[in-house]
Amino acid sequence: MKIVTGVIGNDIHVVANRLMDLSLNARGYEVFNLGVNTYLEEFFDAAVETGADVLLISSLNGEAEGWSREVKPLKSTYKSLDKLIMMIGGNLTVGSGNAEDIVPRYKKYGFDLVCHQVDLNTGLDMLEDYIKEHRAA
Amino acid sequence: MSSNPDKLLIDIGSTYFKISTENTIEQHFRDFNKRILDDLTHKCGATVNRFDAKDVHICSSANGGLSTLIIGLTQSYSLKYATNIAYNAGINIIDSIVFQNIETYSVPSDLIDVVIVVGGIDSNGGVFDERLDNYLAKCQYSNVVFVGNTQDASTLKPRIQKLTVLPNIIDDRLHIVENHLKDYLTNLYQQDIEGKEDIKHLYDITDNQIYSTPYVVNKSLPLIQGSFSVTDPFILLDIGGATTDVHYSKDLVSDNIVTEQGHDRMVFKKLGVYKSRQSLIFTAEQNEFSYELLMHLKVNESIYQENSERATKILMQLAIFLVLCKMSHYRPAYVTLKLLSMNSIVFTGGITQVLTSDDIEDVVAFFYRKILNSDHKPATVLDGNYDIWTLGAKEHAACR
Repeated sequence: MKIVTGVIGNDIHVVANRLMDLSLNARGYEVFNLGVNTYLEEFFDAAVETGADVLLISSLNGEAEGWSREVKPLKSTYKSLDKLIMMIGGNLTVGSGNAEDIVPRYKKYGFDLVCHQVDLNTGLDMLEDYIKEHRAA
Repeated sequence: MSSNPDKLLIDIGSTYFKISTENTIEQHFRDFNKRILDDLTHKCGATVNRFDAKDVHICSSANGGLSTLIIGLTQSYSLKYATNIAYNAGINIIDSIVFQNIETYSVPSDLIDVVIVVGGIDSNGGVFDERLDNYLAKCQYSNVVFVGNTQDASTLKPRIQKLTVLPNIIDDRLHIVENHLKDYLTNLYQQDIEGKEDIKHLYDITDNQIYSTPYVVNKSLPLIQGSFSVTDPFILLDIGGATTDVHYSKDLVSDNIVTEQGHDRMVFKKLGVYKSRQSLIFTAEQNEFSYELLMHLKVNESIYQENSERATKILMQLAIFLVLCKMSHYRPAYVTLKLLSMNSIVFTGGITQVLTSDDIEDVVAFFYRKILNSDHKPATVLDGNYDIWTLGAKEHAACR
């Protein structure tokens, strides 16, 4: 399964990005890591070029919030991304924040899976469960 | 001037031609009623005849370059990579098409020299369907090359006539692979030059391959710091009669393109001060700061109608401003340069014969103040003696 990942916007938190890359590879995904400072259009373009199944965006300290508002309108301009699984994880707000508020908000932005302050392995387990459910459906 | 014993270097531009020997450099306005070779031998016959054909090295930008149409899957990867390679091979791009919306693009009415089709990593096939065939069937083109995923390469080959298939320019890590397409385009450019009625006569005086001028200038870029007081990162602006070439340090772009070379090129086709004068004026009229710049230079828009030295000078200053705008976030082209990080701007081409350092620095300062709200002042360097061209030509001749 192909997965495109990277850190969105003007965000240079590379350590978590590297850890994600290693974990995803260890779990058998074919990983396309776009690294830090990646713009939303580059994520979608990479998904088109690679034929990815999953787009996993990471972010720290709320950087993703502004960008995520553009997810739905921008994704709708692509004709081949209807089946793309959209996932975001990290610290998705400035400060600590409350997952009960944040998760529904990001789902409204167009993400299928939202992991706010969830540890890496738990988040990737969530992804695997989601893929299994998706396939069964 | 760079000394280059036993070699005669000739550059044929759209408006001027230049010849350089060990001790002299001459520049002549072209006589468009004559063939280039006749004009050259009429004006510089004595010099040309002094050299054996093996010692004459010619480059030319006078044929306008190849016209290229690029069809790619996405802006950030396939189109961007193909554009980068095409520019670095000295090619001009007439349009680029995002494949998913191909039905919405009009079909170019002119004959296209080469169509480049690109998209997908090798493990992602089946992305180019019959819409590509339908579009290409309506285009007039001389060459078509596929540099996308290997799966589609095998299915497209029997469907599209005369299709050349080269290795994918996007590798499995989404990185650019330049060499195959760059070599193909460079060779096509050479064939085009050889086929041009006006240029091919120049082979009467040289045994060497005639190269494109941007290709030769590009050769000089790593050597510039040895000859000029230039600090990296820098840009080199070659504002000519028909086009403006920009060669820039790759440190000036935040980009997903990782290549070994330190400099890239882009070209603005219709920003020249002679052949492209009308389109330059049109571009100036579309830019809301042009009027302010004219005021700053103490003239008004009536200068566009004048045919005088003063008008040429103002148009050149406008060209500098417009090119800087097109490279900034204000009017983004296919790349946006980090102009606040730029330490030097090097000017070459006809512009250095008309403008002084003060004229240029005035416009550059105006640009930074108005567009970037900054007092940043990159050092301006004028290559008034065409040293950059002779440096590149000499390097190229030595390599050969």
